[in-house]
Amino acid sequence: MNILIPDSWLRDFLKTKATPKDIQRCVSLCGPSVERINKVENDFVYDVEITTNRVDAYSVYGFAREAAAILPEFGYAARLLPFPLKELHPKVPALDIKITDHSSSTNRVLAIKLENVTLAPSPKWLTERLEKVGQRPLNNIIDITNYVMWETGHPAHAFDYDRLREKHIIIREAKQGEKLVTLDGKKYTLRGGEVLFDDGTGTIIDLPGVMGTLNTIVTNETKNVLLFIENTNPAKIRYASMGLSIRTQAATINEKGPDPTLAYTTIRRAIDLTCELTHGRIGSKLYDHYIHKPTIHTVSVSGDQLSLYLGTEIKPHRVITILKRLGFSVTSRYSVRPPTWRAQDIKIPEDVIEEVARIYGYHNIQTKLPQGEPPVVLPDPQLAWEQEIKVRLRDWGFTELYTYSMISQKLMDIFGLDPKKAYKISNPLSEEWVYMRPHLFPSVLAAVEQNLHVRDSLKLFELSIVYRFRPNDLPQETPSLIVVWTGEKFREAKGIAEALFQLFGVPVPLSTESDKQGLKVYTDQHLSYGSFGSVGVVHPELLAKMNIHTPVTRVYLDIFELVKHANPIRKYVPIAKYPPIIEDLSFIVPEGFQVGPLIEVLSRVHKLIESITFLDAYENKRTFRVTYSDPTKTLTGMDIAPIRQKLIEYAGEKFGAMVVTAK
Amino acid sequence: MSEPIATPNFIGMLLECQQDALDAVASGEKSVEQLRLELLGSKSELSKLTKQIRFVPAVDRAQAGTVVNQVKQTILQALAARGSTQSPKTALSFDPTMPGITPPEGHLHIVTQAIEEITRIFERISFTRSRHPEVDWDWYAFGALNMPENHPARDEWETFFINTTNSQITNKQISNKKRIVLTPHTSNGQVREMEKGRLPIRMINIAKCYRRQIDVSHTPMFHQFEGLYIDHNVSISHLKGVLDYFAMQFFGASRKTRIRPFHFQFTEPSFEVDVTCGVCNGRGCKLCKEGWLELGGSGMVHPVVLKNCGVDPAKYTGFAFGWGVERCYMMKAGTQLDDIRLLYSNDVRFLEQF
Repeated sequence: MNILIPDSWLRDFLKTKATPKDIQRCVSLCGPSVERINKVENDFVYDVEITTNRVDAYSVYGFAREAAAILPEFGYAARLLPFPLKELHPKVPALDIKITDHSSSTNRVLAIKLENVTLAPSPKWLTERLEKVGQRPLNNIIDITNYVMWETGHPAHAFDYDRLREKHIIIREAKQGEKLVTLDGKKYTLRGGEVLFDDGTGTIIDLPGVMGTLNTIVTNETKNVLLFIENTNPAKIRYASMGLSIRTQAATINEKGPDPTLAYTTIRRAIDLTCELTHGRIGSKLYDHYIHKPTIHTVSVSGDQLSLYLGTEIKPHRVITILKRLGFSVTSRYSVRPPTWRAQDIKIPEDVIEEVARIYGYHNIQTKLPQGEPPVVLPDPQLAWEQEIKVRLRDWGFTELYTYSMISQKLMDIFGLDPKKAYKISNPLSEEWVYMRPHLFPSVLAAVEQNLHVRDSLKLFELSIVYRFRPNDLPQETPSLIVVWTGEKFREAKGIAEALFQLFGVPVPLSTESDKQGLKVYTDQHLSYGSFGSVGVVHPELLAKMNIHTPVTRVYLDIFELVKHANPIRKYVPIAKYPPIIEDLSFIVPEGFQVGPLIEVLSRVHKLIESITFLDAYENKRTFRVTYSDPTKTLTGMDIAPIRQKLIEYAGEKFGAMVVTAK
Repeated sequence: MSEPIATPNFIGMLLECQQDALDAVASGEKSVEQLRLELLGSKSELSKLTKQIRFVPAVDRAQAGTVVNQVKQTILQALAARGSTQSPKTALSFDPTMPGITPPEGHLHIVTQAIEEITRIFERISFTRSRHPEVDWDWYAFGALNMPENHPARDEWETFFINTTNSQITNKQISNKKRIVLTPHTSNGQVREMEKGRLPIRMINIAKCYRRQIDVSHTPMFHQFEGLYIDHNVSISHLKGVLDYFAMQFFGASRKTRIRPFHFQFTEPSFEVDVTCGVCNGRGCKLCKEGWLELGGSGMVHPVVLKNCGVDPAKYTGFAFGWGVERCYMMKAGTQLDDIRLLYSNDVRFLEQF
């Protein structure tokens, strides 16, 4: 959370010769980060990021306190100045408003009546300061409550005293369905459990710590004011503020648990300013009911522990000086008690170590690489395989996509994916991103469609995790691969798949089962590899639904499955001592002939046949290359003639393939 | 011709054919291409002879076939030899300005490139990459990381939740394991790595993360890398050492890091890590804050987190950091990438630039 702090206001509390630039540099290294300094008229305004655990620094005074502790470490003398509070006039009656707490959430209540105020615009110095912190000035009473909040860090509220007709404030939890109208005129229905003020008749007169209600706030007619501060359980404030979506500055502070001790300073400051700026005077004693004091933990930190974290030893007097400057009390080495404003933030030794370390300066801590023995870890083979596949595909000319893991209902429908077997996001950012994809193909095909507007020909791939449904459990996060081409590229697709099987040392799985998905993904030109995946030309009907009117071919592989079966070890085969004889045979083949079975059968005809590979297809002619080799001698034409004869006979008899010539 | 041919005659014709061919090649009168057509094409002498192989007595046919092949190989070799030694007179003159024939050109996505680089950098100091869920139980993403239910710190993460009203997930499961979230950071990997119970730990977890945000510097899906080091006597010094090491390796030898106080629920102390700006070299410019760019968060692992993960905080300390992969890549000097959404546009005109 960021806060704007005018330099002129800061110097009400911080006496130092450090310049705004110095303050920015030093404080950013050891405390809240001063992200920017803006020049506003004759002033500088610091734009400071305060972390959510440091609500104590979320004010002009709080920042001054940090700066006063940090600057001396950099050689700048700095002193934190006290609040200039006036004496409270004792000769006034007690407050005549009865306050009853039924909530058990209240830590402290402070209230005082101020009489005969004159509502008017605030003086220029005050409105200017409010404007510099980004607060719109309204009238002197409201401005004062805001001013003290920015200055001290505790929110405050002002009621119109006369509008509190019942002179009774009951602090209680809301019942479900109760209604209220906030000071900006908006109506809210409560969920039940919010802390609210009731005037005893059931009428809600405030949503404390979050926002005032319309029926009790000051108006132009207000003559008497009830200044009020309640310090409430932060979880209750958050519940009300988040539940009703009322995110005021007061709620932002109150939900982080500002120091109840600070509330006293805040109201005293508000009293002084009201008397000074509105001609008002104190009309009652200050009502102060301090119910729950913050628990302050005494934390023990050993010098060893401190040295361990810092990687170096800091002299005890230095540690004590640092902690004392932050308002901590230190007895022995080191029993540490934080001040009230740090009560909820400092509970364990590490919290104290952080304080010492940051003020000492992280920049002063030595830089070392890990010194322990490195752990012996077997790397996850999945990760290296994925990288290898990606590199291969890149080198084969494919471009890698990273599509979003979330897909739309529309894509789920087009691809016939069952929404009951997918993880649905309950708070999606857009209709485009609703389901965690159970399959990669929809997003990849969407990317194809998108790119067809700029390119005719595409070669793309994505290797990403898909989220497979498991009942009553987290998804099975499965790495999967889609490779796509424009055009009918069945043989190229098969080639990629086979090359990858070869890479993994997995025999190409032969499967006769067709496409298991209910939807027809492919035309007849496809091939299944069972649980490993499939390749094929994508069905034009599916493409048409994606608004693609050009053929697309894809490879789909389950990389998890491939890695599971991977056997990358290559067995050494002695290199042949004698040269092989290589010759090509062409056949005229009948209708419906398939090369695969022929190669498989003919390869087994004779032990001297090292391999038969497919070379070429032209009309009804198929050409194969036969390699003959003998590990014991150089083959001659005479040796292979009978084998060739046998090949030709087999081809004719079993496959109806008639030899054409030796090419 | 339909008469049978005696085998020796046939072989004689073949050898004659071979000699004529070799003479033609040697004469250098014709180009290699032309010769190839004349000597080996479908109208060549060799082709005619090949067709006559069927008139050779059946017993010798195979042998004749072998000779045909040998003749063909001899002619091919002669052609190849001439092709490599002298240019045919009729060929185009050598033109070195003709464009080269490029190998197939593909592209790895920037994120893959960055992940690989980051993995290698940490591997050199014994941090091994592991993979942890991207969709996880609330406990791993928040609870174990010292962010109980309704904690305001959860607000900062803009988390996506999975719809668990789905009939497939029973209420009992929800109450046992709480909600399922899309991990808004990779820190669930800390919990899961420590849960394995093997110490010391030097881990890098790189995974997809999800947050409900989209603008020039945010996409609803992005990648983070999470470093975790747990051992005896791990200090802030070691964290600083690793940060400097990484910045130097990834961004360049002249880049430096610093840590500033910050707050996270799962680390104590917590730090914001800055790296010197690559554009102005730390002097301060429009793109940076006084010479520094924010890299991301880090800190010493909170003792509550250690306890939640079964590690004894009295014996072990550790540090963790988690930064955006895309953000780091974009902070490299010279990329000039100013909109993270481009990375997920999937436009080939973008992807092909890397």
